[in-house]
Amino acid sequence: MLAFTLRRLVVALSVAFTVSVIAFALLHLSGDLAITIAGPEASPAQVEEVRHQYGLDRPLPIQYLDWLWHAAHLDFGNSFFFRESVTALISERMPVTMRLGAIALTLSLVVAVPLGVLAAVYRGTAIDRLALSFCVLGQAIPTFCLGLALIIVFAVNLRWLPVSGTATWQSYVLPSVALGWYAIPAVMRLSRNGMLEVLSQDYIRTARAKGLSPTKVVLKHALRNAIIPVVALAAVQFGFMLGGSIVVEAVFSMHGIGHLAWEAISRNDFPVVQAVVLILAGIYITLTFLADVVNALLDPRMRVA
Amino acid sequence: MAFVRSHFSSALAAALIALAPAAAHADKARDTLVYASDTEAENVGPYHNNVREGVIIARHAFDNLIFHDLATGKYQPQLATSWTWVDPQTLDLTIRKGVTFHNGDPLTADDVVFTLNWAVSPEAKVVTKQNVAWIKSAEKIGDDKVRIHLNGPFPAAIEYLSGPVVIYPQKYFEKVGLDGFAKAPIGSGPYKITAVTPGKGVTMEKNTNYWKDSPLGQPSIGKLVFRIIPDQETQLAELMTGGVDWIWRVQADQAKQLEAAPNLTVLAAETMRVGFLQLDAQGASPGSEPLKDPRVRQAIAYAIDRKAMLDNLVRGGARIMNSACFIDQFGCTDKGVPRYDYDPAKAKKLLAEAGYPNGFSIDLYAYREREYAEAVIGYLDAVGIKAKLNFLKYAAMRELSRANKTPITFQTWGSFSVADASAFTGVWFKGDADDRARDQQVTDMLKKADTTVETEARLAAYAEALKVIAERAYLVPLFSYSSNYAFTKDLEFSAQPDELPRFFTARWK
Amino acid sequence: MSETLPSALKAASLDQAPPRRSALSTFLVGSLGHGGLMAGAIVLAAIVLIALAAPLVAPHDPYAQNLARRLIPPVWDARGTWDHILGTDKLGRDYLSRLIYGARISLLIGSVTVLISGTIGTAIGVCAGYFGGRVDAVLSYLVTTRLALPVVLVALASAALVGSSLQGVIVVLGLLLWDRFAVVTRAATQQIAGSDYIAAAKAIGCSTPRIVLTEILPNILNPLIVVATLEMAHAILLEAALSFLGLGVQPPLPSWGLMISEGKQYMFFSPWVIAIPAVALVFLVLAINLVGDGLRDVTAPENRN
Repeated sequence: MLAFTLRRLVVALSVAFTVSVIAFALLHLSGDLAITIAGPEASPAQVEEVRHQYGLDRPLPIQYLDWLWHAAHLDFGNSFFFRESVTALISERMPVTMRLGAIALTLSLVVAVPLGVLAAVYRGTAIDRLALSFCVLGQAIPTFCLGLALIIVFAVNLRWLPVSGTATWQSYVLPSVALGWYAIPAVMRLSRNGMLEVLSQDYIRTARAKGLSPTKVVLKHALRNAIIPVVALAAVQFGFMLGGSIVVEAVFSMHGIGHLAWEAISRNDFPVVQAVVLILAGIYITLTFLADVVNALLDPRMRVA
Repeated sequence: MAFVRSHFSSALAAALIALAPAAAHADKARDTLVYASDTEAENVGPYHNNVREGVIIARHAFDNLIFHDLATGKYQPQLATSWTWVDPQTLDLTIRKGVTFHNGDPLTADDVVFTLNWAVSPEAKVVTKQNVAWIKSAEKIGDDKVRIHLNGPFPAAIEYLSGPVVIYPQKYFEKVGLDGFAKAPIGSGPYKITAVTPGKGVTMEKNTNYWKDSPLGQPSIGKLVFRIIPDQETQLAELMTGGVDWIWRVQADQAKQLEAAPNLTVLAAETMRVGFLQLDAQGASPGSEPLKDPRVRQAIAYAIDRKAMLDNLVRGGARIMNSACFIDQFGCTDKGVPRYDYDPAKAKKLLAEAGYPNGFSIDLYAYREREYAEAVIGYLDAVGIKAKLNFLKYAAMRELSRANKTPITFQTWGSFSVADASAFTGVWFKGDADDRARDQQVTDMLKKADTTVETEARLAAYAEALKVIAERAYLVPLFSYSSNYAFTKDLEFSAQPDELPRFFTARWK
Repeated sequence: MSETLPSALKAASLDQAPPRRSALSTFLVGSLGHGGLMAGAIVLAAIVLIALAAPLVAPHDPYAQNLARRLIPPVWDARGTWDHILGTDKLGRDYLSRLIYGARISLLIGSVTVLISGTIGTAIGVCAGYFGGRVDAVLSYLVTTRLALPVVLVALASAALVGSSLQGVIVVLGLLLWDRFAVVTRAATQQIAGSDYIAAAKAIGCSTPRIVLTEILPNILNPLIVVATLEMAHAILLEAALSFLGLGVQPPLPSWGLMISEGKQYMFFSPWVIAIPAVALVFLVLAINLVGDGLRDVTAPENRN
């Protein structure tokens, strides 16, 4: 088990390292940083001064290591637009995205797992077909269309919920639905398949043969085992959701890190962009690493990697 | 399974009941006016942004030396109780006593001297140099007396002092520095800034100690909240559901529809903002080679049906502009200035003469009123010019434009609400960062006009410069903007032609 | 599916099918009996035909603007006219014509993106599956890295860097969406690589490229086509999201995502402006997904739900 964990850790770290190189490249591809920092009216001499002052005249590998060292200490420099530390900007907005992602994930699990279980238990019936059709249809609706439709119906026409912003907990309801929607098909398919697999297994047949009620069999025995892969997927989905929240945050004008990154991109403010890329990737890598380890703990078959 | 289901549905029902009375965040009862706009100032400090949202905040949180009364057109005392021209290059002012900044520090002649000298210093890196470039230095010549030395005669000085030039608190600014000031600015105006949240907005509270005799009057509404909402439809939805109280720049179609809403007031008013296409006549940006030929630039001007755009898209009292300035500014005229009325055939002919019978491809940059830019692209397409739209945030577009990377730029300029043509021409043609024509002859003509003291001669000098600018078609003036304001019926608000909403004169009904 | 893949790869390969050679006859019989596949195929074929014949079927020039005839509602509205069946947009351009030409853009983006990402992903997957060992480890790590990158954010940032344009969007998406191809072809190749006929081919001295081209590729074609179909839908949705956020295809090109984005300003008072392209987009994606799901069911019947 230790060897497995260590191997996975090495992979996670090397992936993190590669992502950091990409993030660093993103920043340097955005233009001559010295010119951007010095401002459009700076004379060539001033630009050179900035270049030297910020160490931009050193070889790229050195600059990268220096940048990595600071990034590892959560120091991503200053935003070109706000002239404020990127870390401060991000930490202020992080809770919004985290909250949004967590609620959305909970919502999608609450809908998708029961739906998947139902579909498996009633395999081949109308319920199953309905659930699967719902999945196919769900995948075809773009997040932003759903978001706009939710605004029109629930915010503007019914006036139940706020249109935008993050002022109250109500503000999170519509965005979470829009974001969670996106994860439902994957979670549902997985819980359905997991359930189908478990239901065909011997111990379930034994339990049934012993005369236990079908509901009890499903809830007490099958669900517990079928849920393991769903937990792992949930962790991965959470990572995907944080990345996908950019569209939802834009539709609902929520000030999370997705929105921040989007605005930063359209303002050519790449210190912010690379920091968000790095942080989201870091969260994703950590989550999948943990999911692998937890999975391996629960299911020894997986430790052979 | 049944258990899970019933539990879930009852929870959902409970949630819906709890949600039913969705809280409105803005209203008369809470004495809080929430206003929304789409752009954010990179720095709330009035000298370090050039966006309208920043100008609005500046006029609420800071005081000017002189007040321009739009109703009478006269200049009145504000922080300066009186002023006299010693000679065309020297202005003496007497500073009012008893005015305090929001932190309680008294506002003195020292603050005025400090502000002006700092603003003209190169390390201040003021964003719009034209606003202060006329000042050489300021000095204290008595307890409450300040003398401003000008770089040359500049008759519009008073107009600038009543507009973009606001007074900073020396002690506080020196303590916190430029960055600290951007986070927590302090002025002496009718509202004090209580919070600046990047990306979200600015909160202001009524300055209950605002000085009694201010020509701005005393503020009435307790709290102002500026919310940045980038999307127009979100602004509209928020307004309709009571999330915000006041929005502006409502697209003409929507404004017409909103008029039917019983709880809203819709106002349309022309503003000083002029929309125009800035053409890279130097050919410095990628793909802008054709624009070096004046015939191509003229062809672009002929290709656009400004009247159709005005009648169908802009509406609401806006006018076609033919000169590189707002027509009601002092010195602005379109008499004797060549006009480019819609004539696609002529545009094609000019393009053919310039060697582009089949047109060419080019990039067009824009940052607001996307449909205007798209209409322009449609007209250019009709004469063979294939323009691709690059729609950016203002800050990014400005950066690219100043770095000579935008062939055609759809600019708009509100002249900082300064009613003098120099506030327009000075920014776009006097060799500063936003000047893409870099025509020394035009720059010299404008310098002469700016520094001419005698009124008739000054008018003539501008007319001459504007004629040359139009002949060479460095920019294609399109039209003035009308702004459609929409706000809650509870609010008493009047719009001014200078595109400066004054919430300190607004009150609840 | 190998037991040893990290969770991240599993999440990416949820919809993958085990490879199986299927006879043409079973395929045809299967497809005809598969309602979803037939429905999807008919809708998709109709959209493709209309897109190909755009100049013939479009009633107007999609770029011709007439500001005096802006925002005319569709024909079913009382103010509508038969001259503009789906009305006109904010610049008075015929909406039906724009929709028809927009189908071209969406399909072009979908197919070329899949061509690029499919080539990259298949190359990686086949190499990893065929050579195994170190090569597999390195390539799996590549896929993991790619999955760690938040796709929307990186696509937005890259689109901003290369300049938003049709070509830019296609290249960016093509370089980003190869992960599922890699995962699926890797698994498929692994199964074949150990088979007797590959061993036989090796024994008679066939070169590796030849084995890959003549033995492996034809045998992994089925899962490849399934993934290509589903990824095409994915690419179309992502393009719509990029255009919606303003960094995708640029005006005056009529992409459906862009039409939705431009229409949202009018969604409260002229809802058809946003509803028409949104419905078209949902139909297209739905049709492609149905075809993809159907193909998987038909080509891999043992995986059929």
